[in-house]
Amino acid sequence: MSQKIVIDPVTRVEGHGKVTIHLDDQNKVKDAFFHIVEFRGFERFIQGHPYWEAPVMVQRLCGICPVSHHLAAAKAIDQIVGLNPEDLSVPAQKIRKLLHFGQVFQSHALHFFYLAAPDLLFGYDADPLKRNVVGVAMEYPEIAKKGILMRKFGQEIIKLITGKKIHGISASPGGVHKHISAKEISYFLDGKDIPDINTMIEWSLEIIQFMKAYHENNKVFMDSFAAYPSGHLGLVNKKTGFLELYDGFLRATDAEGNITLDDINNDDYADYFYESVERWSYLKFPYLKHLGREKGWNRVGPLARLNVCDGIETPLAEKERQDFKAATQGKTNNMTMYTHWARLIEVLYCAEMMRNLLHDHDLMSNDLIRKGTRRNRGVGIIEAPRGTLIHEYEVDDKDRITHCNLIVSTTHNNEPMNQAVRWVANNVMDGRPEITEGMLNQVEVAIRAYDPCLSCATHAMGQMPMEMTLYDSKGEILDYKVK
Amino acid sequence: MNHKTLIIGIGNSGRQDDGLGWAFLDAIESLFLENLDLEYRYQLQVEDAELIARYNSILFVDADMVQHPNGFNFEKLYPKDVNSYTSHELNPETVLHLAKTIYNVNPECYMLSISGITFHLNIGLTEIALLNLDNAIRFFKQDFYNSVTTF
Repeated sequence: MSQKIVIDPVTRVEGHGKVTIHLDDQNKVKDAFFHIVEFRGFERFIQGHPYWEAPVMVQRLCGICPVSHHLAAAKAIDQIVGLNPEDLSVPAQKIRKLLHFGQVFQSHALHFFYLAAPDLLFGYDADPLKRNVVGVAMEYPEIAKKGILMRKFGQEIIKLITGKKIHGISASPGGVHKHISAKEISYFLDGKDIPDINTMIEWSLEIIQFMKAYHENNKVFMDSFAAYPSGHLGLVNKKTGFLELYDGFLRATDAEGNITLDDINNDDYADYFYESVERWSYLKFPYLKHLGREKGWNRVGPLARLNVCDGIETPLAEKERQDFKAATQGKTNNMTMYTHWARLIEVLYCAEMMRNLLHDHDLMSNDLIRKGTRRNRGVGIIEAPRGTLIHEYEVDDKDRITHCNLIVSTTHNNEPMNQAVRWVANNVMDGRPEITEGMLNQVEVAIRAYDPCLSCATHAMGQMPMEMTLYDSKGEILDYKVK
Repeated sequence: MNHKTLIIGIGNSGRQDDGLGWAFLDAIESLFLENLDLEYRYQLQVEDAELIARYNSILFVDADMVQHPNGFNFEKLYPKDVNSYTSHELNPETVLHLAKTIYNVNPECYMLSISGITFHLNIGLTEIALLNLDNAIRFFKQDFYNSVTTF
């Protein structure tokens, strides 16, 4: 009798997804899918709104990374008012970058301490009642304290610039609406109310050392688990080719590191990307046109970014990047679990960049808004915590949005996450008649490495149980569990 | 330690009556009462343990799908290790438990649950939720506020 195993929803990811694993009569894996079953429709219902509303409205896509959507939309809207990213005033660019680094810093901290650490500290087969962030706080209170304060630091940066930790507003068409005062900056430097930026750097280094040791002690697992060849996509600095999170050229490589997308301008993205659809998921599957659906998909996010960049401009993070690259003798890294390590190097990079910016007097300037000649199309691309985020808008002569296309990071990672699920299904679950908690969690571990953001900011206490259902070939339920 | 009372409104105004927690804060803010700090939340997170550890007195306000007499329920909360499958939605008791474990504090804590009817994707409270909100605010002003501000 062939069976279908459903894990629904996947836990400890932002939002909810569903995994189905189809077994044949011999309990061999026939196929595996990662479904996105929530439909948002943002691209459609933003049409008809004035273009200046876009950076505010799109934040509601997400309760975890609203700043990324805010800034990507703002960059696109800058173009509508006639400004390319480099045309903005230097203070406006720096304030936006500080906001972005704060956002990535807190999001990555959230992921590591709240989502990944339970698996790493307790083991993938540990009791799920213990293997969660509450368990981390109980058994490792010092680690929990640092995680809380690192996330808080990033959130305070966001609150400083946007007025709120979630869904605040900073960017206006052509710039930002307020500068930062010396008194506000001192909050992050004097260490009186919150640990200072130097402490953030120190703690970032600590968790990287923890992760390095973890890799040494668990090398076989970390090197092999959910590892598979893939393309890699990310922004790189337009001048240096270094890691870039706010504005740069799009670059992609194949699994061996050969360039497949050679530093293209953001405006031209539509010439290179297609999005296909599958009937079993609301999430599209982007790929590079010239490589096709089968070979043209790419991972995005920390691992991809470290694969495509030529270096990192901050010294401590660059040193860690070199150690990271040494683990693969400088070759492209296709090992999914190294995403955690890469994410922590980005935590350090963000901390260093925040330190540089917090000492920059340009933040206090009032040269905040520029104007240009009106256009009818704008493209904003940014590296969100989870990867490359694309916003494109077209507007009519009455300033109304007529077209919107969003390719979010998790959309790029759709095929990679499906690949990861198939890897686990084939290598861990294949041939086993019983589904253990540890095995189920490994499917989730593979997905969590991508830190997917499937839906956000819905709130209904008690309405999101974890359900597991086992079906036979006739669609009848063999087993059903709710946590 | 902060001697003000912290009120944390939990909810999402984009999901109809789930916005009750935030609407409560809006109403309280308009009263210009002293010694209150207000915080809006979509959901409680682990870092809220660090926030509440700074206060002696905390009131959580959230929408509730249970229909209570008078439209709301008020109760005292105690630290409790309630394991959840997800880490991006913690209940108030667990946040209290975290505060006690990590920061060694045990603040006075209460829950005000206001009954809602519908929680779909839409902006605006239902008429019943608005009535329940009025009742909850009246209770807050007459019974809760005077007692906590005389701690």
